[in-house]
Amino acid sequence: MFLEAIELKNYRNYEKVEVSFSNGINIFLGENAQGKTNLMESLYVLAMSRSHRTTNDKELIRWQADFAKISGRVQKKNSSFPLEIVLSKKGKKARFNHLEQKKLSDYIGHLNVILFAPEDLSLVKGSPSVRRKFLDMEMGQMSGIYLHHLVQYQKILKQRNHYLKQIKQGRKVDEVFLDILTEQLSLEGAEVLKERYRFTKRLETWARPIHSEISSHKEELTIHYQSSVSVQSETDKDQLFTDLINNFKKIKKREREQGTTLAGPHRDDMLFYVNEKNVQTYGSQGQQRTTALSIKLAEIDLMKEMTGEYPLLLLDDVLSELDDERQTHLLKAIQNKVQTFLTTTSLSGIKHKLIDVPKIFRITDGQVEMESE
Amino acid sequence: MHYPEPISQLMDSFMKLPGIGEKTASRLAFYTINMREEDVTSFAKALISVKRDLQYCSICGNITENDPCDICEDKRRDRSTIIVVEHPKEVISLEKMNDFKGLYHVLHGVLSPIEGTGPEDINIPTLIKRLQDEEVKEVILATNATAEGEATAMYLSRLIKPAGIKVTRLAHGLSVGSDIEYADEMTLLKAVEGRREI
Repeated sequence: MFLEAIELKNYRNYEKVEVSFSNGINIFLGENAQGKTNLMESLYVLAMSRSHRTTNDKELIRWQADFAKISGRVQKKNSSFPLEIVLSKKGKKARFNHLEQKKLSDYIGHLNVILFAPEDLSLVKGSPSVRRKFLDMEMGQMSGIYLHHLVQYQKILKQRNHYLKQIKQGRKVDEVFLDILTEQLSLEGAEVLKERYRFTKRLETWARPIHSEISSHKEELTIHYQSSVSVQSETDKDQLFTDLINNFKKIKKREREQGTTLAGPHRDDMLFYVNEKNVQTYGSQGQQRTTALSIKLAEIDLMKEMTGEYPLLLLDDVLSELDDERQTHLLKAIQNKVQTFLTTTSLSGIKHKLIDVPKIFRITDGQVEMESE
Repeated sequence: MHYPEPISQLMDSFMKLPGIGEKTASRLAFYTINMREEDVTSFAKALISVKRDLQYCSICGNITENDPCDICEDKRRDRSTIIVVEHPKEVISLEKMNDFKGLYHVLHGVLSPIEGTGPEDINIPTLIKRLQDEEVKEVILATNATAEGEATAMYLSRLIKPAGIKVTRLAHGLSVGSDIEYADEMTLLKAVEGRREI
């Protein structure tokens, strides 16, 4: 899919601006604090109806204005349709094809975007909870069944933790009840585990060739789902359930002493290895960046597999974080495939790497001008 | 400007009801001022009556005016089957179906450590006693299809089954008259799991 054009009114530092884009690469060029990221953000808001930078929609409205409006025209296969987001102090309205969508979940999905910003490095460098959240967010969007099992799992986990805490504080243990909580947790846990493992493998399938390409075939990426029980492709749900139950038997005493659930998907992690070394611990900055980038680019292919359309790729200030060679390979990987938007302060070092002629927009203090060349 | 004392007292009382906040309470309170005196009196009487004249049935735990309740007392009912529910409201729903002729047992809650509810805090001991004293052949577990309802059902089945009593659980799946097209994935999954031969 492509975003043909966008119109902003009273959005952040833009009073009124209209831009039409190329189906290939679009570069937002400008000094710092001119509005490059704001423009990028507006594309994200148009797709997701909320910002990735703030949870407060009022911040998106231009200083002293009453409302902000983003409208865009999306082209999909043989059809094209308008999308519109209006933010006011009272709330927001999302319109698809001029019709207001009361449920935002009905609106989201008409325009798919994948955003890559410097913060995304925490996917590799950050704590396990960042990666679990990534898995849950991505998988939740794709599968309602996964979301259901995850929510059930979290509910039972909360109950079980409470019960263990009460036991620690000296409450009489009802063994039958604790057994049932453990069984329920393992039942939902097995579903969550199985799906997460499958997703991790699919992500790996897509990420491996990308990573290899970006690193000039010097690096081999593997993704490993780490859990308290061993998961293989052939492990079925019943086996996982039994394994989880047996593991809980083993840690029974410790759980009661500590008063909390010590194993299960809520303690799992996703590990990235480059040439068989853990990137988080032993990888260089560059390798960590490449890994994060490969994962994000793999998402593009996963999205295409799921929805049948390529999403838009938004690269906010990412090029400067990558070395020359990685830049070249990144730009090669996306060309002629995905409509891409990227922000940069300077064109030197980028332009000669592009096969396509990019459309360049110079951004100065809330004004957008197309560079004529 | 403060509300006059009687108004603010009435508002405080209204606000103790679920779903009523300050604005609704104020609207209701001012409306009450203009109501006919008889209506207000009967309203007040009904409120008191609900509290004074109702009690819990010592056998099944349902709300009733007479103890034991009409259902437990009804000699025509089948004493060998008991449906276990969470709340009295559910007995009324099940009675509306006008098909079940057995007895009920109301738990008044579900097992939930977060809310501090353990097996001894809900009507489980009385259920066990009933099963020991009476000739019960089947217990139908009709707790809600939530995580807690499910845990409570599993817990009860583990207690009751060893006594040789048949334990069943209500079916999950498609609602009657619904289109498969519009059912969500989870409901469909449950419906496929719980399919039966015809």
